[in-house]
Amino acid sequence: MDTDGKQVRLTEILLTFLKIGLTGFGGGMAIVALTERVCVREKGWIASGEFLHGLAFGQILGPFSLNVCIFIGHRLRGIRGGLTAAVGFIAPSFLLVSLLSWFYFTYHKLPLLQAALKGTNPVIISLIVVVAVDMGRKQITNVSSGLMALTAFAVSAFIKLNAAWILLGAAAWSLGAGIYRRRHGR
Amino acid sequence: MTSFFALAWIYLRIGVMFVGGGYVLIPLLNHIMVEQNHWLTRREFLDGLALSQLTPGPLAMLATFTGYRAGGFTGGLVATVCIFLPCVVLMLVISRNYHRLKNIEVINNTLDGLLPAVVGLVAAAAWNLGSSSLAGTQEFVALALGCALFTWTRVSPMIVIVGAGVVGVLMN
Repeated sequence: MDTDGKQVRLTEILLTFLKIGLTGFGGGMAIVALTERVCVREKGWIASGEFLHGLAFGQILGPFSLNVCIFIGHRLRGIRGGLTAAVGFIAPSFLLVSLLSWFYFTYHKLPLLQAALKGTNPVIISLIVVVAVDMGRKQITNVSSGLMALTAFAVSAFIKLNAAWILLGAAAWSLGAGIYRRRHGR
Repeated sequence: MTSFFALAWIYLRIGVMFVGGGYVLIPLLNHIMVEQNHWLTRREFLDGLALSQLTPGPLAMLATFTGYRAGGFTGGLVATVCIFLPCVVLMLVISRNYHRLKNIEVINNTLDGLLPAVVGLVAAAAWNLGSSSLAGTQEFVALALGCALFTWTRVSPMIVIVGAGVVGVLMN
């Protein structure tokens, strides 16, 4: 799994994101959590801080689970790596939804997916929780970062404000705090 | 042939609006698919929505479903490629300039400063999923088991997720 100084092959990028796309049930953040485990912890392709930068950009831009994959792919092999990651990630979902669409429009009912989801749902939530705790340990180091995390959590969970707005707000706050610190000599 | 161009154009436009948050996608697709073009009934649209959330991958897989309805397998492919194209291009542009941006001190500090908010958003996603789908003791046991596995063992999350899916099918 050591990638120091060696280029990661495009086929490995493709296979990795194919697997992520195939098992990332639950959408959005479930996939991000899975990607974090695989690309940051298992393979060491990208540092945790950089991964979070990619996630922040990705959330501002929309389909963040896909965006994170592109970000990592690009980090490894440039534009071609980013495109490879995107294709690998989307292909399984695309084929599965095509198959289910065919099934649905032919028989007008959905197969047993609901049952499978009953099993995967709690496990997916636990994965997101573990990843969030892990990230929190690294990022929340003092009172102000703790407050920011808590505020973002509350505004997203209870007020259901769009993540892009929350992040833009946090960016404005972070920029303002930086300017304030510089003016007042820390 | 012309219909595929029309389809491509529609999904490209949706893809542009998709940039900035996927939340506009559902009402937008509903308007275009159901009210404007009558490619789907409202019932079919809602089933497609459920289906897209059931499957791996982003919610935008709804595009595959609606595209399939409008133009079969090719329609689904055209729709999927077009809806993601604008975001993919933009994200590649950002990725390409990421290291240059990071070298500007103000930008780097601002980015680092907002990371706790990203962590908060990840936690909120777990909360939102949990509050809408965790009901019985069984589920909470599975949740605790998952937390223990992911914290103390190095077992691959993919294996755990697939295993949980199999257990779900067997138990229901």
